[in-house]
Amino acid sequence: MCHQSVSLIARHLEQQGLPTVVMGCARDIVEHAGVARLWWSDFPLGHSAGKPHDPKSQLETVEGALSLIDSASQARTTAVSDQVWSSSDAWKADFMSTAHFTPEKIAAMQAQHEQDRAEAARLKQS
Amino acid sequence: MIEYLQRTRDYYGAQGYAPYTWAHHEDVPFAQPAKTLADSRVVLITTAAPYQAELGDQGPGAAYNAKAKFFTVFRTPIEPPPDLRISHIGYDRKHCAADDARTWLPIEALQHLVANGVVGDIAPELIGIPTNRSQRITNEQDAPQAWEIAQSLQADVALLVPT
Repeated sequence: MCHQSVSLIARHLEQQGLPTVVMGCARDIVEHAGVARLWWSDFPLGHSAGKPHDPKSQLETVEGALSLIDSASQARTTAVSDQVWSSSDAWKADFMSTAHFTPEKIAAMQAQHEQDRAEAARLKQS
Repeated sequence: MIEYLQRTRDYYGAQGYAPYTWAHHEDVPFAQPAKTLADSRVVLITTAAPYQAELGDQGPGAAYNAKAKFFTVFRTPIEPPPDLRISHIGYDRKHCAADDARTWLPIEALQHLVANGVVGDIAPELIGIPTNRSQRITNEQDAPQAWEIAQSLQADVALLVPT
């Protein structure tokens, strides 16, 4: 949801004349929404600004993203970071995996989801 | 690359939920920068939330914490770096320890780029935006507020960092 929210905000800012760069990990969500400039890192969600405890990775990520201000000449410019998260792509199978779903687990997740929604609704009204 | 649109569709579909209709646009606005990056003031826009001790676990490894969600745009000084966290977001909890805020809040990297002349300046405050399921609220409420703040900060460029 986060990647969608920033994409919509970026679109609005561009409409007002303010150049933007989205720096993120969920490429398809951002490109589906449609933004002017995207710097994409193929990292697990939570690392849009680089690898943890790795200032070099973080600096290269931000510098790469902002370089699009000078280099991009048209909307839907996506630049791909050349940084690699891991020598294995195994991590990509884990996020939101349904491989271990059981009826009991689904019921528990539904209950938690409804609780989270109720909490969000309460917060919105408070 | 992970296909998040399909992944979320499958994940929630398996739990019996109807698919979410993600924002989609064919036309994309593009603002031509008036200045080079080296002469520009950059404002940072984040989806991270201000830490509030009374709202439960928001630290590294915290489970999803709906109580930590926020629903209004905020602004806060970047110096000293604010304590903004991501427990209210559905990030990859297996592969992100969330123990280094610089992976979602790149203030230090931005300051380094300013010190080296790559970026002109950083806005003294950042903008925090809610992650709302409602695209209407994001478009009609949050986006205009973010624009208003960006203007007041005299930003030339916005760097948006989702989690």
